[in-house]
Amino acid sequence: MRFVGESVTRVEDRRILTGRGRYIDDVKLPGMLHAAFLRSPFAHARITELEIGEAQKLPGVVAVLTGADIEAATVPIQVMAQFPDFKSPAYLAMATDRVRFVGDLVAIVVAESRYVAEDALELINVEYDPMRPIVSFDDAQDSTAPAIFDDIADNVLYRSTSTHGDVDAAFAAADTVIEETFTQSRQANVPMETRGAVADFDPGTGDLTYYAATQSPQGCRFQLATYLDHPIDRVRVLSGDVGGAFGLKGPVHREDISLAAASRIIGRPIKWIEDRNEHLQASGHAREEQMQVEAAVTSDGRLLGLRARLLIDQGAFPCLPYAAVLFPNMIRDLLPGPYRFGAMQFEGLVLATNKCWVPPYRGPWEIETWVRERLMDVVARRLGMDPAELRRKNMFDGAEEDRSISGQHLAGITSRESLERALGRIDYGSLRSEQEAARAEGRLLGVGIATFLEAAPGPKENRMFPEDAKVRLESNGHLLVMTPQGPHGQGHETTLAQIAADAMGLPLDHVRVVHGDTRQTPMNLIGTGGSRASTWASGSVMVTTRKVREKALGIASAMLEIDAGDLDIIDGMVVPAGAPAKAMPLAAIAMTAYLAPESLPPGTDNHLEAQETFTGDGIGGSGWSGGTHLCVVEIDQDTGRVRILRYIVVEDCGQIINPAIVEGQIRGGVAQGIAGVLYEKAAYDEEGQFMAGTFMDYLLPTATEIPHIEIDHIESVPVEGLDIRGVGEGGAIVAPAALTNAIEDALLPFGVTVNEQYLPPGRILELTGAIPA
Amino acid sequence: MSRRPVHVKINGVEREGYVEPRKTLVDFIREDLELTGTHVGCEHGVCGACTVLLDGEAVRSCLMFAVQAEGCEIRTIEGMAGPDGQLHPLQEAFRDNHSFQCGFCTPGFMMTAAALLEEGPLSEEDLRHELSGNLCRCTGYQSIVAGVMDAFGRSTPAAGQAADAATEAAR
Ligand code: FES
Ligand code: FES
Repeated sequence: MRFVGESVTRVEDRRILTGRGRYIDDVKLPGMLHAAFLRSPFAHARITELEIGEAQKLPGVVAVLTGADIEAATVPIQVMAQFPDFKSPAYLAMATDRVRFVGDLVAIVVAESRYVAEDALELINVEYDPMRPIVSFDDAQDSTAPAIFDDIADNVLYRSTSTHGDVDAAFAAADTVIEETFTQSRQANVPMETRGAVADFDPGTGDLTYYAATQSPQGCRFQLATYLDHPIDRVRVLSGDVGGAFGLKGPVHREDISLAAASRIIGRPIKWIEDRNEHLQASGHAREEQMQVEAAVTSDGRLLGLRARLLIDQGAFPCLPYAAVLFPNMIRDLLPGPYRFGAMQFEGLVLATNKCWVPPYRGPWEIETWVRERLMDVVARRLGMDPAELRRKNMFDGAEEDRSISGQHLAGITSRESLERALGRIDYGSLRSEQEAARAEGRLLGVGIATFLEAAPGPKENRMFPEDAKVRLESNGHLLVMTPQGPHGQGHETTLAQIAADAMGLPLDHVRVVHGDTRQTPMNLIGTGGSRASTWASGSVMVTTRKVREKALGIASAMLEIDAGDLDIIDGMVVPAGAPAKAMPLAAIAMTAYLAPESLPPGTDNHLEAQETFTGDGIGGSGWSGGTHLCVVEIDQDTGRVRILRYIVVEDCGQIINPAIVEGQIRGGVAQGIAGVLYEKAAYDEEGQFMAGTFMDYLLPTATEIPHIEIDHIESVPVEGLDIRGVGEGGAIVAPAALTNAIEDALLPFGVTVNEQYLPPGRILELTGAIPA
Repeated sequence: MSRRPVHVKINGVEREGYVEPRKTLVDFIREDLELTGTHVGCEHGVCGACTVLLDGEAVRSCLMFAVQAEGCEIRTIEGMAGPDGQLHPLQEAFRDNHSFQCGFCTPGFMMTAAALLEEGPLSEEDLRHELSGNLCRCTGYQSIVAGVMDAFGRSTPAAGQAADAATEAAR
């Protein structure tokens, strides 16, 4: 391998650096109209009157469509209906008689410009009859409260319960039982590019072309075809550069379905680009979850048992297709992490509320790590143990027989190595002495450690969803690689080219990676998400390229009359072993196959194109990404400001394709994790009014808030097999744990337990008692 | 709504358009002049994605009306590379430091940094303050800071080429 492992310059860079990226708002079609949505100002209300006449009359307005118009053109949405025990409500792309969150869709105006469309929104008159909003965890569990959906009796959409081992015995044997309730606030993905699309229905052909900013072009196509009841062969999705997503643009949004329906009704291309206010209010939120835990421990720090009850606030509508119901069981499986627990009991609920829906956000199961790692610190402190010591004591080594209490096979994990390296790198012993000295001076210095595991791709027994790639050797000897991925900053045009170039034996610039045109790429509903690309897209490109290489060598063998086994491909040349003078460019082979196939001996396979499925066969190693983060903070007692003095990442994602890209993924994830603790909150009031509709309310951190992040790679690679593991989500999963642990440690003199994740300066001052809670 | 003429010199080229007085400068640049390198991230002056140089100063083009730019000289990301396609040292430094992922924020950072470059090197801490009017959701900023610091070291095209040659030679 020559390119894999190198921080080669990204293929994407030149166009982005010169302002020639093609993002969704850069698409401009002849005759294109512009859409704006009228959104509900109420969390929960009946629509008693909807008057669109004035808006329709405004010059420049082409159409005003209501929920009823869109209902007539679409099929009701029902997601994950096949998921056992999930009460999946049927819902419409736009509201007809009832709105269910602030930002719900009431009407769509299509006009000559977005300016005019927004003018027309002001002319639509809607009367609402407000209903009791379901806002809190308690509201949602109150069986006397109104049900948000008519076809579901209450607002508990899903409940999962399970027991592993003898939990009662574990608690009976405990020296100490520790109980805590840990709560996360609402956050949001907030890519810098808001959502948007251009729907282009051609009444002549019946083709719907949908220009999307999506993580999954094929998934988008499939959902549009389903809910527009449009033949899928006549739906084409085109996606260019995507300005960030972090999970938000994997789902298909109700606006997508409405927009496509509007284009089909009107018969013209329509662009919709949401503004930041719409985005913050209605695109998607995340992380509003709570976990109540009880831990049974011995006084020497053994973890006998765990009881956990999880609540997930999924907002009003189950996200299409990644409803929150997917996550309780993943959270359960990952909750014990790399530690030995004797027994575990778990209950997980998914609750409907009158708030924005909840698409995946970078590690949507993150609460398992946050709660576990918080709990480790709480337990350590109650027992008077050092938190690193408690972790060491209970951590699996990754032996062949190691299995967590939830049944996860942990052979080969490197958690312990990551912990030791992180502690070593910071010189943990001296750091603790330094902390003592600082405390003596009245300074609030804190250290936080957190270790996580991510199933990317996971152990052999639970690997899911194979992926295809398509590869063609072109007549000029270059390789065209087609992937169903929907990259949005991860640089797949580069990393997959690195994989293909090495697998084929080509210079990097002889490989072109194509994505985002569903007429060319293989079918795959997931696309980019779940930290899958490193393993699954890489694997699919590798096996498919190998196939094409085999075919090319077969043709070369016939042309050169040399056994294929004696041929190699180096730098785009087919080179016979021991006879470099007879080397032949791949282009000559491809030209022969395409232009003069009859010159080849009968029976020669002259097709230089292949599509192969990567099933996970040949993956070596543990399947677990993971690592340890260590964070040192100092808190200003007067202002409540948390300053991060050091942030250390020790991670293991197996073999690294491109170190610069991997480190970028880690830093970006850590930044989001830090942001969720110190700055960001998608706040609602008790009436379900949304309170964070601008960047003055929803605070994204800037260059002055995110610290320098130090990264150390373990890069454990097995003796055999492909071992490139996912790394996209880890930073965001573990950073909140490392940071909140450090904050609680800093606040030790006040004896407080940190059981909320969101800790802005005001909350810190409440915890120190500087201001009343 | 009535339209008014606007004349600007953008990336060295005289252009004119007829726009409604309420049209923002960024919409004028993107829609009328079809220079889509400049991006819109918030339309309320916080994210910096729409930053352009107006008569040499970094401004947020979402907070201005197009008609206010009458007679002004504008520079956008499309005007950074040389006419021969030679990248500006700042572009090279961003590339070499992996200063972006999705690239949506990049035009804004680049134009903010271009204005800073005129004023000469800064300490990392000061630079972080100067960049704090631009938001990036992908990188965690470290690579952007590194990119601009690097660019301070190659601030003339000649220096950039020399640095490039040095990198090339090292390979
Ligand atoms: S778009 Fe102008 S500052 Fe955000
Ligand atoms: S690179 Fe994506 S927002 Fe900065």
